[in-house]
Amino acid sequence: MAKVEIRGLHKYFGKNEVLKGIDCDIEAGEVVCVIGPSGSGKSTFLRCINCLEQPTAGTVRVDGNIMDANASNIDVLREDVGMEFQHFNLFPHLSVLENVTIAPVLRKKMGKEEADQVARQLLERVGLADKADAMPNSLSGGQKQRVAIARALAMKPGLMLFDEPTSALDPEMVGEVLDVMRQLANEGMTMVVVTHEMGFARQVADRVLFVDGGVIAEEGTPEEVFGNPKNERTQNFLRMVLQA
Amino acid sequence: MSFFELLRESMPLLLQGLVLTLQLAGLSLAIAMVLGVVAALMGLSNNPILRFVNSAFVAIIRCSPLLVQTFFIYFGVTGALGIRMSAFTAGVIALSLNAGGYLSEIFRGGIQAVDRGQTEAARSLGLSARQTTWRIILPQAIRICLPSVVNQWCITIKDTSIICVIGLAELTRMGQQIIARTYRSFEVWLMVFVLYFVVIYAITVASRYLERKVSLDGKGRD
Repeated sequence: MAKVEIRGLHKYFGKNEVLKGIDCDIEAGEVVCVIGPSGSGKSTFLRCINCLEQPTAGTVRVDGNIMDANASNIDVLREDVGMEFQHFNLFPHLSVLENVTIAPVLRKKMGKEEADQVARQLLERVGLADKADAMPNSLSGGQKQRVAIARALAMKPGLMLFDEPTSALDPEMVGEVLDVMRQLANEGMTMVVVTHEMGFARQVADRVLFVDGGVIAEEGTPEEVFGNPKNERTQNFLRMVLQA
Repeated sequence: MSFFELLRESMPLLLQGLVLTLQLAGLSLAIAMVLGVVAALMGLSNNPILRFVNSAFVAIIRCSPLLVQTFFIYFGVTGALGIRMSAFTAGVIALSLNAGGYLSEIFRGGIQAVDRGQTEAARSLGLSARQTTWRIILPQAIRICLPSVVNQWCITIKDTSIICVIGLAELTRMGQQIIARTYRSFEVWLMVFVLYFVVIYAITVASRYLERKVSLDGKGRD
């Protein structure tokens, strides 16, 4: 059984059909990068996986469980799916340490001391052990995104979703975040990454999906998609982004 | 009687009135804060019945004078139901409903001003809707609307003076009674004015301090 099974996924916003039928399996341990022009539906596709957007039609299964925003088990299912956002979305009223401990304490009923210990280890792992007591608004963008990764990892998710995690960062901070993500990939985390970082996709992805017009227009290994794109839209898109 | 004799004679009574004013305002505001949060959450609920209850409540409070609300509760409701109610109880009910209505709109605005990404981040960690509201959204919303909340506190403290019409010997009423005996209108109203001013001004200063203390501008908690 695949880690993620997506069948006939359609999503409408009002009358606007953003996803027009997506079928896709993601295996455990796989790193999938999703690329495509803005407005193509790639973020919506990612947000349907943990049901931040409820599919209009079709199903998303994670470990065989249907993700349904209105089902009573959705909170439990989301515990296993970490998500990173373009704008980090750290909780500004909580310290860095509290950002990382809040979910394990509230959801896994972990004791405060154990949660603190786990959180400090995770902060160490993303290189921010010294920032545990800082408030989020005192951090740089790159640091915020690394805290957000530690926060998601605290729930020990089996799957991580990244929604353009470096798009809001100053250029000099992109590397520190990609390094943490690369390390996660090497440790075998299942990852779906919506990104404009073609270098990262080429280097780290097991598979690249090119989404355009609400469908997966082309998919394959990075070598296939970047080296020898078959679809004309893929060729045009890559020509434009790689030129820049 | 010199001014200082008048002051010495009046102050104990005025302070007694002030204590009642603060009891009335404190109790009413404590209830109103809870009522305001609950009503705001009802107003933002997906349930149309809860939303209707909230908007009806807010409309009734906003579209009628506090004086009429007070009379309605103290004379109207008690008469219709054949129950007895102390003036203090009636005052607290009127003031908490009134302040609760306004606070509910203030809280609703504050909650809506919290970035949508906060909810998404909390829900994607597995937090339930309720945990997200109480642990993530409300603590930020209250910071956003703190200045407006304190504004409402000031208004409600002053609105206690309206409650004197049902015979509660709060600060304003005490002033009236002293004047009725002494005919020293100017001096006594001045004392009443100063007492209101000192208390409310102190609250606004304290709230500025609190605002700085809880602000999230990046300088940390202290």
